[in-house]
Amino acid sequence: MADTPTYNPNQERPTEEMPDWRMELAVPLLSFGGALLAIVFWINGAPFDFRISILGCVFASWVLAYLAWIRPKKDIVALTTPIYSFIFIAVPTDIFSSVILQLLYAVSLTILLIRLKYRFGKPGTAVSLGKEMGGSLKTYIGQTRDSFSGISPETAHAAAIVFVRFAEGNYEDAAQGSRTAPADGGNSDPVIILAFRIIHEHSTLLSRSQPRPVTYLTFPEKDFPRLAKPPVAAHDEDMEFYSALDNALLILFSAAWNASERDRPHLLACQAFAQKLMSSK
Amino acid sequence: MKIGDVEVQVSIVAVAVFVIFAILLGAASIVSSNVRSQLIWLVPALVMLLVIPIALNYMSRRQYADIKPIYEREAKTVRVRLINESMVGKIVRIEGVVERVHFQFLNRPQYSVADRTGEISVKMFTSPDENVKVNDIVEVLGQVIRRYIVTGDPVINCVSIRKIKKS
Repeated sequence: MADTPTYNPNQERPTEEMPDWRMELAVPLLSFGGALLAIVFWINGAPFDFRISILGCVFASWVLAYLAWIRPKKDIVALTTPIYSFIFIAVPTDIFSSVILQLLYAVSLTILLIRLKYRFGKPGTAVSLGKEMGGSLKTYIGQTRDSFSGISPETAHAAAIVFVRFAEGNYEDAAQGSRTAPADGGNSDPVIILAFRIIHEHSTLLSRSQPRPVTYLTFPEKDFPRLAKPPVAAHDEDMEFYSALDNALLILFSAAWNASERDRPHLLACQAFAQKLMSSK
Repeated sequence: MKIGDVEVQVSIVAVAVFVIFAILLGAASIVSSNVRSQLIWLVPALVMLLVIPIALNYMSRRQYADIKPIYEREAKTVRVRLINESMVGKIVRIEGVVERVHFQFLNRPQYSVADRTGEISVKMFTSPDENVKVNDIVEVLGQVIRRYIVTGDPVINCVSIRKIKKS
């Protein structure tokens, strides 16, 4: 793999444009600053339209909306604050009402900022935005690099197609692709062949909306070191069945990533699904 | 209330709004002759507060009833874990346990449905056929959408939710 990690692969690296704490600080500073300015105008008598101080709250609303936008989990309340700030400007008020409104608005924005920080998680990272590989998925891809980098480009490309089709819910295409794929590249790696067969079995069942069969394919114990999520010894056939699919999909993802560089953009677009498979029990 | 073959359900909020304004209008017409002279348009306006939600509910339920057979035909039964951003637009069927119910009083219920592989939000933009409660085992038919149309995590825009009995 080309991008050898120079930092902890489990730690998500922030994007270059990711805002720091100063942007978060700007919300109360701008809103309360505007309110403070309004009080100064009120006490000293403003020589111009005192409502200019409202702009502090308007800018603070836009900063808050931006902070809400860049988070993977969106806060609709914080996102709509610029609309309220425009209503705020549009309604003409006397200076006393304006000062009270600005103070209340500044308090509201600060509460919303705290809510955003604690209830809506951290801003998006390059990984969560699907721009680069990261987390435990990257670790798994690194661990399996040597065993999968030798497969033929045709098989790796087929693996990418099957993974993407499956992620999209096009189970007929995934079943078709996984049925023909191992023969295409002449690949002899039994783990990849078995992964294709497992995905073919699941895709066929899903495309027909059929339940788990009594007998189904699983990975043998000798393959466990190469699996992303080695099955735990529990007599739960449902979980064993689901786990076989997760591992098969992750094997194809890793094989495609390591041996078919041209498919990486497509794999990155489906990274959230692969991460979900990695993190699920 | 049944209109044609469609069971119409008015939300408690719409009824509450109607009752509050009816009381206000009644009180105002007793104390003010000006209000009494305007009753010719105030009473129809009051009635519209009830008629409009009924009409909207009828139209949405009618439309949902029309598209339900199409969804039943096209839906693929999937596990919750398999639903992801790449599946936006796909018609799916899931089976699971209702873990939470929100906004039922607004006739816009939002359920949290879980199976053994995960949990997902199921949004419905009209009242359901059945009164679904927490811990009910349900079958959901719907389309995968993003929570905020263009962004957000994948959720199911539910066309039908019905209780099922699992052995």
